[in-house]
Amino acid sequence: MASLQDIRRRIRSVKNTQQVTKAMKMISAVKLRKSQERLVALRPYASKMAEVVRRVVVRIKGDAEIQPGPAAQAFLSPREEKRIRLVFVASDKGLCGGFNANVAKAATAFVAHCPSEIVHLDVVGKRAVEWAKKQKLTPTKEYLNIPLPGLQRVVTEISASASAQYHDGEIDALYVVYNYFNSPVAQTPTVLRVFPMELDPSFEGKEAGQVSHLLEPDPNAVLETLLPRFVETELLRNLLESSASEHGARMAAMDKASNNAGEMIAKLTLTMNKIRQAGITNQIIEIVSGANA
Amino acid sequence: MAQTIKLEVVTPERPVFSAEVAEVQFPTASCGYYGILPGHTPVMTEVGDGLLYYIQEGQKHWLTVFGGFAEVGPESVMVLARESETMDMIDLERAEASRQRALKLLKEAQTEHDMALAQAKLDASLIRLQAAGHPAGHGF
Repeated sequence: MASLQDIRRRIRSVKNTQQVTKAMKMISAVKLRKSQERLVALRPYASKMAEVVRRVVVRIKGDAEIQPGPAAQAFLSPREEKRIRLVFVASDKGLCGGFNANVAKAATAFVAHCPSEIVHLDVVGKRAVEWAKKQKLTPTKEYLNIPLPGLQRVVTEISASASAQYHDGEIDALYVVYNYFNSPVAQTPTVLRVFPMELDPSFEGKEAGQVSHLLEPDPNAVLETLLPRFVETELLRNLLESSASEHGARMAAMDKASNNAGEMIAKLTLTMNKIRQAGITNQIIEIVSGANA
Repeated sequence: MAQTIKLEVVTPERPVFSAEVAEVQFPTASCGYYGILPGHTPVMTEVGDGLLYYIQEGQKHWLTVFGGFAEVGPESVMVLARESETMDMIDLERAEASRQRALKLLKEAQTEHDMALAQAKLDASLIRLQAAGHPAGHGF
């Protein structure tokens, strides 16, 4: 049996660990709130953007006179997917439960079953780089340690180049693999095709009767500028979802760790008390038997 | 017919403005300024950089807008701006500092690309200054 001294030492060490995990949980909670606020602030913009895109698309589809340009095709009639661009979003730091493992699993499955060639791979986060290394894939670009305000810049960069690539026929689709933020304690690894956009067919009938908008200066020019904006918004949303998920996952993991540490301390304290008690009992017996003799 | 239009300005960062107004004017990327009164034909267009004004209860108010999209309907104007600020969100000192910086950059610019970047920065700061009624903005 371990000595009293050993157990005391262990309790102290577990207590230290618990302090660290508690602090990390607190920090994650603050960061989660920040990410979530950004996500909530973006939502009205994103939903309106999607609405505008939908209207423009329905409008152009309903008008036989308009000849869709290359940008319009991204929304209207997808080309055969031969070459795609993939954005994989994970975190920079670990200690967040299954966050990275789950999304990596989804990405691996996607890559394995993807019939088209991945010609361009963007990875966001150190864990994503590690994943790419394991998969023997060479990332075209790595984004590491991006702070929350820096996401906008990353998103603008990716969406501008992706739109240009689609325009030039270098890629046929843009996919993102990320963690969808269900709630602070639940994330779902998600594979999303940003464009070509999947249009819900039910919209078309509903909106067909509505007044059609004039598109200034001309329909293709509008779509040409709308596409990068739409991609930007979608990507920003995905990155924010991932960031909120990461902090949520870390918070949950650290909460569990703190609880486990608490349990361990309770158990060790009990053993320690038992040993102490046994020691005292022994000493009393010794004194009593000594007095008797 | 409605006497007012619902003006909504949203950016990725926050919803900036939402209210019933009598008249709106905003800059477009390619077709100059658009003035919108209630009952306007539905139009969708790209928004440029500049000042948007709306008239509410006979008072003219200004907002800055930087890029984005506008959807105009008979009873509503929705502006999806990349960036937008109301008057009280503008930090005068920061805008002035950024104007000075942009002027310096413009002088030092070597390539055409640098020049364009500095010019864009200068324009943005001037728009903000003009919106806030600062004298430096009025030469714009």
